[in-house]
Amino acid sequence: MAAELESSLELSFTGSGTVPGGGLPPARSRIFKIIVIGDSNVGKTCLTYRFCAGRFPQRTEATIGVDFRERAVTIDGERIKIQLWDTAGQERFRKSMVQHYYRNVHAVVFVYDMTNLASFHSLPSWIEECKQHLLTNDIPRILVGNKCDLRNAIQVPTDLAQKFADTHSMPLFETSAKNPNDNDHVEAIFMTLAHKLKSHKPLMLSQPPDRDQIHIKPEPKPAMTCWC
Amino acid sequence: MARRSPPRNGVGGHDFDSKKKRKVAEIYQALNSDPIDVAALRRMAISEGGLLTDEIRCKVWPKLLSVNTDDLPPLPAGKELREDNKDYQQVLLDVRRSLRRFPPGMPDDQREGLQEELIDIILHVLKRNPQLHYYQGYHDIVVTFLLVVGDRLATALVEKLSTHHLRDFMDPTMDNTKHILNYLMPIIDQVNPEVHDFMQSAEVGTIFALSWLITWFGHVLSDFRHVVRLYDFFLACHPLMPIYFAAVIVLYREQEVLDCECDMASVHHLLSQIPQDLPYETLISRAGDLFVQFPPSELAREAAQQQAERTAASTFKDFELASVQQRPDTVLRQRFRERLRGEERTKSILTKPRTNRFVKLAVMGLTVALGAAALAVVKSALEWAPKFELQIFP
Ligand SMILES: Nc1nc2c(ncn2[C@@H]2O[C@H](COP(=O)(O)OP(=O)(O)O)[C@@H](O)[C@H]2O)c(=O)[nH]1
Ligand SMILES: [Mg+2]
Repeated sequence: MAAELESSLELSFTGSGTVPGGGLPPARSRIFKIIVIGDSNVGKTCLTYRFCAGRFPQRTEATIGVDFRERAVTIDGERIKIQLWDTAGQERFRKSMVQHYYRNVHAVVFVYDMTNLASFHSLPSWIEECKQHLLTNDIPRILVGNKCDLRNAIQVPTDLAQKFADTHSMPLFETSAKNPNDNDHVEAIFMTLAHKLKSHKPLMLSQPPDRDQIHIKPEPKPAMTCWC
Repeated sequence: MARRSPPRNGVGGHDFDSKKKRKVAEIYQALNSDPIDVAALRRMAISEGGLLTDEIRCKVWPKLLSVNTDDLPPLPAGKELREDNKDYQQVLLDVRRSLRRFPPGMPDDQREGLQEELIDIILHVLKRNPQLHYYQGYHDIVVTFLLVVGDRLATALVEKLSTHHLRDFMDPTMDNTKHILNYLMPIIDQVNPEVHDFMQSAEVGTIFALSWLITWFGHVLSDFRHVVRLYDFFLACHPLMPIYFAAVIVLYREQEVLDCECDMASVHHLLSQIPQDLPYETLISRAGDLFVQFPPSELAREAAQQQAERTAASTFKDFELASVQQRPDTVLRQRFRERLRGEERTKSILTKPRTNRFVKLAVMGLTVALGAAALAVVKSALEWAPKFELQIFP
């Protein structure tokens, strides 16, 4: 059944079996499931919306529980569905609600607001929480500092964020979901992640839950990329 | 607020007008009788069209919540409230973002004024009730009251509502909210096992209905008239009614669900996008029927079992290898469901598998059966629905 395949990084068959009367062999399409987490108001909804709808939303509302957005992309000639799971920032939702959505995620995007130091200081607890929910350690994770368009209000200096990212072996991206000229940047972040996932596959699939075993180190972390 | 548009169910405008006139008269009669006929008001709030106008709502909503409107306490100055309130920042963020809740044509300064009032009401209620915790979505409920009855009365109504209907959502954690969500699948199962099983194998969970439940649909419906109509209904009913209504919406969309790809993302996506043209009156009466047919006490065991199954699933997950295609928990769960199918499901609920302790607890659950008294306001939904899972898994 498609349900069993869906959440695996292995090939899944979109529209297989479950579509009545579909005689044609289904098109193969991999699904990358990415969860986006971080404090309330850092811009998770705007970022995911920007990537999936191609523009900054006029108005967002508080995300209650978990929202889902999706976009199909083609990478090296392969059609891939990128699923973004946009989560609520308020702590109470994380504790008992959001866990279900950590299931089988292929990548994690941590977001902080560059104009809000508190949202940066929350990152360790997000990272810790993420560790508790995920099966394996080697799931690609990236750090995104959002709202870099608000140049005069920046509270989180890039070098501080870079140090933090290095400590946690994550690439850092500073971007803006809002700045209309930054459309490509948000796009590039998620596409970079998708490329990473595409090439990451063998590592993920062969990784046994036993963390003591030697495993291939993820490729060296890319330097901080800021397109601002 | 604009007058309700005539119902879509083919009832002619003229017919509707005379029906409406008659209903208005009945409502005022109930309001003017001594003592006030609250039972009749409750029926009016539930029956077709609900309470019809905001003017009537201002009078009837307080009665449904037993709020005395004669001596409303004065509202304290907002400035005091905002100083060192632990929820202030979150409330501010959420209210500032809640533009969509206000009538589209409203001038900005008027809307901004209302947003400030909204913040104050929320902080006021929280301050007076330190046992209550703010949740994102609470503001969607409060704004509805603010827009219908104004800030002074809204404060009193919301306070009452928060210590009763919404009490479970305002605990320090969302465990009780999760517990209430656990009622969703058993209700669906009673009516359409196929949809239920489909959703189970998609592992869609119930979070798609979270915002429906904790905002009484205020967060997801864009037409304010529909929101207040539902509030009439919910205010007149048991606190668990919103979960029945959620089930009814899913069931109404059964064909769409079954045609959907059987995976979490697709089903979650489909269900969380609520259609805006739902036949509300039909669904309301369906939800009422379901409630009477399967009162919460009947479902408590099933709801607890949802928890049990999920707990079992997560235990298995620990053993799961990243590369395993067929997950043991899914298979196991399907087999478990199959055992419940057919004959067994029609037998007494007490014969269902699971532990002896479970059976005992189920019997305990029966002692709080609601029966026909269902449509009464009770203090808190969970008083009627013991927290089985806590007892099963101490
Ligand atoms: N200036 C600026 N504002 C942003 C940006 N991204 C989001 N916002 C604003 O930040 C607020 C919160 O955004 P939202 O996506 O709802 O945050 P979430 O709670 O993390 O989902 C909204 O008012 C957005 O308009 C950005 O890149 N630049
Ligand atoms: Mg959001």
